[in-house]
Amino acid sequence: MSSSLGHALALPAPDIAAARRELVRQTARRSLTRRRAASRAIVVVCGLAVAVSLAPLAALATYTIARGMHALSVSFLTHAPTPPGIPGGGISNAIVGSAIVVGLATAMAVPTGMAVALFLAERRGPVADAIRFAADVLTGVPSIAIGIFAYAVLVEPFNHYSGLAGSFALAVLMLPIIIRSNEAAMGAVPRDLWEAGLALGARRARVVRSVVLRGSLPGLVTGNLLAIARAVGETAPVLVTIFGSTLFTASPLGPLAAMPLTIYTDGTQPYPTAQQIAWGTALVLLAFVLVLSIVARVVAGRLNRRTR
Amino acid sequence: MAPTLLEEVLPPQLTPVAGVRAALERRRARPGGRAYAVLRWGGAALFAAVVVGLVISLADGSSQAFAHSGLGLLWSGTWDPAHLRYGAGVFVLGTLVTTLVAIVLAVPIGVGTAAFLSEFAPRWIAAPLSVLVDLIAAVPSIVVGLWGLLVLSPVFARHVEPFFKKIPVLEWFFHGPALGPSMLLAGVVLAVMILPTVVALSRTALSAVPVADREAARALGGTKWQVVRSAVIPGGRTGIEAAVTLAMGRALGETIAVAMVIGNLYTAPHSLLAPGATLGSAIINTFAEATPGLDRSAVIALALVLLVITALVNAGGQLLLRSRMRARTA
Amino acid sequence: MTAYPATGPWAAETGATIDGATDDASLGAPTPARVTAPRRDVATVDAAVSLRGVSVTFGRHQVVRDVDLDLVRNQVTALVGPSGCGKTTILRTVNRLHDDTGGKVSGAVHVGDLDVYARDTRPELVRSRVGMVFQRPNPFPTMSIFDNVVAGLRLNGVRSKALLRDAAESALHHAALWDLVKDRLHSPAVRLSGGQQQRLCIARALAVEPEVLLMDEPCSALDPIATAKIEELITHLAADVTIGLVTHNMFQATRVSHHTAVFMLGDDRTTGELVEYGTTEQIFNDPHDPRTRAYVSGEVG
Repeated sequence: MSSSLGHALALPAPDIAAARRELVRQTARRSLTRRRAASRAIVVVCGLAVAVSLAPLAALATYTIARGMHALSVSFLTHAPTPPGIPGGGISNAIVGSAIVVGLATAMAVPTGMAVALFLAERRGPVADAIRFAADVLTGVPSIAIGIFAYAVLVEPFNHYSGLAGSFALAVLMLPIIIRSNEAAMGAVPRDLWEAGLALGARRARVVRSVVLRGSLPGLVTGNLLAIARAVGETAPVLVTIFGSTLFTASPLGPLAAMPLTIYTDGTQPYPTAQQIAWGTALVLLAFVLVLSIVARVVAGRLNRRTR
Repeated sequence: MAPTLLEEVLPPQLTPVAGVRAALERRRARPGGRAYAVLRWGGAALFAAVVVGLVISLADGSSQAFAHSGLGLLWSGTWDPAHLRYGAGVFVLGTLVTTLVAIVLAVPIGVGTAAFLSEFAPRWIAAPLSVLVDLIAAVPSIVVGLWGLLVLSPVFARHVEPFFKKIPVLEWFFHGPALGPSMLLAGVVLAVMILPTVVALSRTALSAVPVADREAARALGGTKWQVVRSAVIPGGRTGIEAAVTLAMGRALGETIAVAMVIGNLYTAPHSLLAPGATLGSAIINTFAEATPGLDRSAVIALALVLLVITALVNAGGQLLLRSRMRARTA
Repeated sequence: MTAYPATGPWAAETGATIDGATDDASLGAPTPARVTAPRRDVATVDAAVSLRGVSVTFGRHQVVRDVDLDLVRNQVTALVGPSGCGKTTILRTVNRLHDDTGGKVSGAVHVGDLDVYARDTRPELVRSRVGMVFQRPNPFPTMSIFDNVVAGLRLNGVRSKALLRDAAESALHHAALWDLVKDRLHSPAVRLSGGQQQRLCIARALAVEPEVLLMDEPCSALDPIATAKIEELITHLAADVTIGLVTHNMFQATRVSHHTAVFMLGDDRTTGELVEYGTTEQIFNDPHDPRTRAYVSGEVG
């Protein structure tokens, strides 16, 4: 089979090969400068992309800290809000409200989530797949839809905003995070450890307690902390369930204040004093969430170090 | 097993082995194991009930509105509760436009960042940088919304939006008064929030391309970028598509930050600089004032529409992720 | 130091000499004999690739030290030895693949006249003269057979369609794959069997017309029939390309190679070193170093 190039050059076969080799060499050499320059340019462009990616984080952190610092003081954290126009108010109601709502939500979501995670980690089969699918679906549900759900179930029938309804909404929000992270942590415990425990004749629950939970504890803690961090910052679901309050209330059976709500209501007002309070609250919230995330990461790091 | 001397001498029920065996049987028969199974199944059932209950309660709550307005509720462009005319069209349009702006901004920047972190950056710098990029995801959306409203909005009103108005080609997109709160600003804020998702998932997709493919391209004489272009990007394409889809799903679900910067105007926007509304922002803003009954039912209908759209997009993303994993093991 | 010519029929071709052991006479302990590769100035043999004093270090761990080796032009040189002794590491110094993995290479590597590690030498150019075939077949999964074969040419800037088709046909012929794929050049490469994929990778490497082809255990992931086909291919290819072949299978070395270099872990049991280098005939029939003798008789590795 003669080749087109061979026809073009009209050379015998070994000379075609030599000609081809020379042509490839030359092309490679000549194109190299261009190729390397292009490569370097792309790397620079991607480096710029990284800079652009980090810019919002820097801006967010700087502004929140800079503007929030002015509002921060001991009284800010310990006093209840004052009527508009009167200085000296604080966000103690929001802090307490957040603590109550998120605390109740954690109490509801963590046991349920861990039970489901155990279920998924142990069983195979269509039921487990369906549950896992449901968890994946729930991760993607907008938080406002979960809030409306909680509203329809716990607020409307009683005609009464309540911290409980908010806790329920946040618990539903936290469930998929807890389930998936806990399942992953439990699944990381090697199967032969389970089976060794079962083979010794121990009851399932005992095996779980001593082998699985102990082995996956760091992963469980990380997952749960991250879920809490997420819940503390959520606004939409608590807006439609606990409604917010300017008074200091601590009963979950009625409307409560919460930090995200304070930020929302005060931040959207055109008055600088209100906006100041919003920034202060944002700083407190941000600091809390970041501390939780860092602790979660450290715990996860300890997990990695231990298993290596 | 040959009987031991002891077993030969003692009656069978009294031998040590039998004793141990009996003790174990007794423990196994105790109902403690049952309680544990109830706990597990109960948890699963409770969870399933919650998910099903979510869909049912939204459907039920919105039924009144659908009965009143029919399917026109989904696309009609008029939202006028005072005259009992409900239509989600404007909000759906707003949702789609802001999500599109967010994607157009976040995907190139995010994929570029992922490529840098995964392919070009030395290892000692890639790890801390990616931690930093991830950190934005930890910031509560209310804080991002506050920053967008009080910091970005004036900057946009004074510099960014007039800048876009000056570009002749883009006039169709950018015209009208530059007030700050706008579809553009909402899109930018959304982009900031979905960026970590795009970066993390794209990075996973790119890193998953086997070293062997990269080495092959390298050994043939390719430059760093050539290796990425010919081996890594084709190999990671499905993963990146999944990343974009899932980021889109995340953008759709974001409500509070958008509500703070979009301006909340319930008419169809004619320009990116105009204020508008999305499904999420509409729900948040109309919820408090909605009178019980038809009004509230209409708002719940909006939530249902948002839920369905988000669920579809997320399902698409999950399917893409699964097909990528299947393709790799095939 | 006494130097005497190596025995055996291959001696005339390679001009290898064996240095007797002397060194520290006061200790009285003989150091093991080392076979040195011919010096470049002797020029009795044409070395397509030459390594002098090459060591490779990863972090604090020196993987292989002080290797003097030649790949004789248009012949097959096998690098054998137990795993972990640095054979693959040494192979990869020739095409500068350690630039990416963080290994530090010291010593001199020359491909023809080109100093591979000179400061102004571009690694991409080295790699277009030195091709590589890897342990597991790694065709680009998203590309067709044709696109795979010409991938190297395209990466190096060749655009002419005529040249691409010509090179692809020639490379596929050389890899004994043309008849099998000529009618489905544009079907996906992953549909080929493992052995065929490996031949495709060989074709891909050959298309760039390299002077040297490095093969890193190319048959270890293949079944015996595919292995036999590739061994046959290697012996034919050697006429056009210099081949450096890493293999853990010493019988394969006896079947296809003209020269053999034996690597082993040194006395410190962490760093590999070149124990003996000579013609395949000599290494396997008359090994000089006791360690080589142990290896080829199956006692070690």
